[in-house]
Amino acid sequence: MDKTILVVEDQDDLRLLVRLSLKSLGRVVLASSAAEGLEKVRAEKPDLVTLDVWLGKGESGLDVCRAIKADPATRHVKVLLLSACGQQSDVEAGMAAGADHYVVKPFSPQSLGEAAAALLATA
Amino acid sequence: MLASPSPPGDAHRLRVLIELELLDTAPEERFDRITRMAVRLFGVPMALVSLVDADRLWFKSCAGVPFAQTPRTASFCAHAILQDGPLVIEDACRDERFATGPFATATGARFYAGCPVAAPDGSRIGTVCILDRAPRTFDDKQRALLRDLAAMAGDEIAAGELRRAHARRSESDAWLHGLLEHIPDGVLMLDRAGTVLRANPAVEHMFGSDTGGLAGRMARSLLGEAAFQLLDPQHSPDAPPQEGSGQRLDGSSFPVEVKVAPMRLADQQRYAVIVRDVTRQHELAQRSRATEERRRKHFTTATHELRTPMASILGFSELLLKRDFDPDTSRELLDIIHRQTSRLVELINQMLDLARIEAGGTEGLTIGAVDVAALVEQTLSGLNGLGQNHRIRLELEAGLPPIAADAAKIQQALTNIVSNAIKYSSEGSLIDISTAALQRNAKLMVAIRVADRGIGMTAEQLARIFDAFYRAGESQNVQGSGLGMTIFKEIIELHGGYTDIESQPGSGTAVTVWLPALPDHG
Repeated sequence: MDKTILVVEDQDDLRLLVRLSLKSLGRVVLASSAAEGLEKVRAEKPDLVTLDVWLGKGESGLDVCRAIKADPATRHVKVLLLSACGQQSDVEAGMAAGADHYVVKPFSPQSLGEAAAALLATA
Repeated sequence: MLASPSPPGDAHRLRVLIELELLDTAPEERFDRITRMAVRLFGVPMALVSLVDADRLWFKSCAGVPFAQTPRTASFCAHAILQDGPLVIEDACRDERFATGPFATATGARFYAGCPVAAPDGSRIGTVCILDRAPRTFDDKQRALLRDLAAMAGDEIAAGELRRAHARRSESDAWLHGLLEHIPDGVLMLDRAGTVLRANPAVEHMFGSDTGGLAGRMARSLLGEAAFQLLDPQHSPDAPPQEGSGQRLDGSSFPVEVKVAPMRLADQQRYAVIVRDVTRQHELAQRSRATEERRRKHFTTATHELRTPMASILGFSELLLKRDFDPDTSRELLDIIHRQTSRLVELINQMLDLARIEAGGTEGLTIGAVDVAALVEQTLSGLNGLGQNHRIRLELEAGLPPIAADAAKIQQALTNIVSNAIKYSSEGSLIDISTAALQRNAKLMVAIRVADRGIGMTAEQLARIFDAFYRAGESQNVQGSGLGMTIFKEIIELHGGYTDIESQPGSGTAVTVWLPALPDHG
């Protein structure tokens, strides 16, 4: 069965980059804000969400991650956080919010694809 | 004449003599009175109050002797101080000790009677003596009289010593009093229960009290429980100061540092307490914590801002290297890489610029007279075509005084606000640039106002306008590093200027910069 991946990223260029990096793994759905992301998690029932941590306008991907993991209907969805903040404390905060994986920007599209594939294999 | 012996203990005797500070002082009536009396009582031509120094005899008072000192070796007195009672030489010519002595020759004396004078500690420091050129006899009654005169001289010396001790004491009291009166640190003296016995003016002022208003109060209510705990006879005065909260008499509080020194005074347990108001230190520490926090946040944001374009550059170039794309897509991806690289370059340049301006401070400015009209013209022509589709209207007041400014930096600041006005308003819309000179806070200031009719800002956006990397137009996809206004503010403040910003969402933004006019042009 084809997997569905939701990409939540506020920057157009990076949304495109993540889409191109992951499109061989399944169907890719896009969202550019926290609200749109949460709405599409419920509507599209993705197997994996890649989530930008700084969504702009003060929105945090960590909140979206917590919301996904708190909802019984979506808590099984794998969450991969993407962030330009790469300190140990940032990674720990991400994992504490319930994320399954944490990738620091800038990243290699190939490594991102491999990390996503590994998460999908366990989904 | 035989050399006078140096008695055992002479070193101590000499120290006592020197500390009395009598040697080589002016004559004093209280001693002259004694020699005058001796001359009359005994009917002799010469009488002395002599002090036996290390190698001389010095006369505190002399009657009938025309010189004030003589060598110790040639003296009767050096012998007289070796014994307790009077030494009497009825005829020096018949005494082998003195027959050829130069003193005897100098005074022509054949008769000598001298009785030792004692310092307060009993050291025999000199004599009261009488001399005559003819031999004489000296009976017991006369010996007793001479002894009395020597005792009177001793009493005078003791009385002088008491007066000097008293003067020394009041001098040291005055010194201590002045010290406590004027040191800026608060000093309290507490009894064993922690009640204030004495307080210096600094501590009274600190607690908002009148003179004497702290006496009788409990240290616990003034300094708090933590400081009160230090009142322990075993407490070490070397312990680091205890932080606490001082309670003023009006109920307000302030941070204090307290040191306690336990002591025994007149067999009573007492505590000396040093109180320092550390409000200022607290404020400084708080400010430096805030600065540190701001720096940390700035660093995090800067890192994030740099990594974001890097993510596009690294990611898309890797995709282009590893995959085959059709020519249109390849071009689109290359275009992103190029755009993001330009953004990265701009960011780095602006960050370096800001760091340079911050680090250089006012010393980094080259201040000169800058003509405001020329400055505005140069700013507009330096925009490289940005704004060519806007209508820019200039209203430059004639006869403006020049401003005191670094021309290049002030142009950079002005460029930042003009380019913002252009970027945040639609093509074809009007931008007004006007100037005026006005007295503000008793200083002549020149104002430059840039007003657009663009998208404007909400109050929330306006409040954050000077934050580094904050971009009010984030969602509108306006290009920029987010450092323009931060750099602008930094430059204006270094020049001693300030900024007013008015903005309404949907109707535009007006930025007014006030810069000091060059002095002597007011």
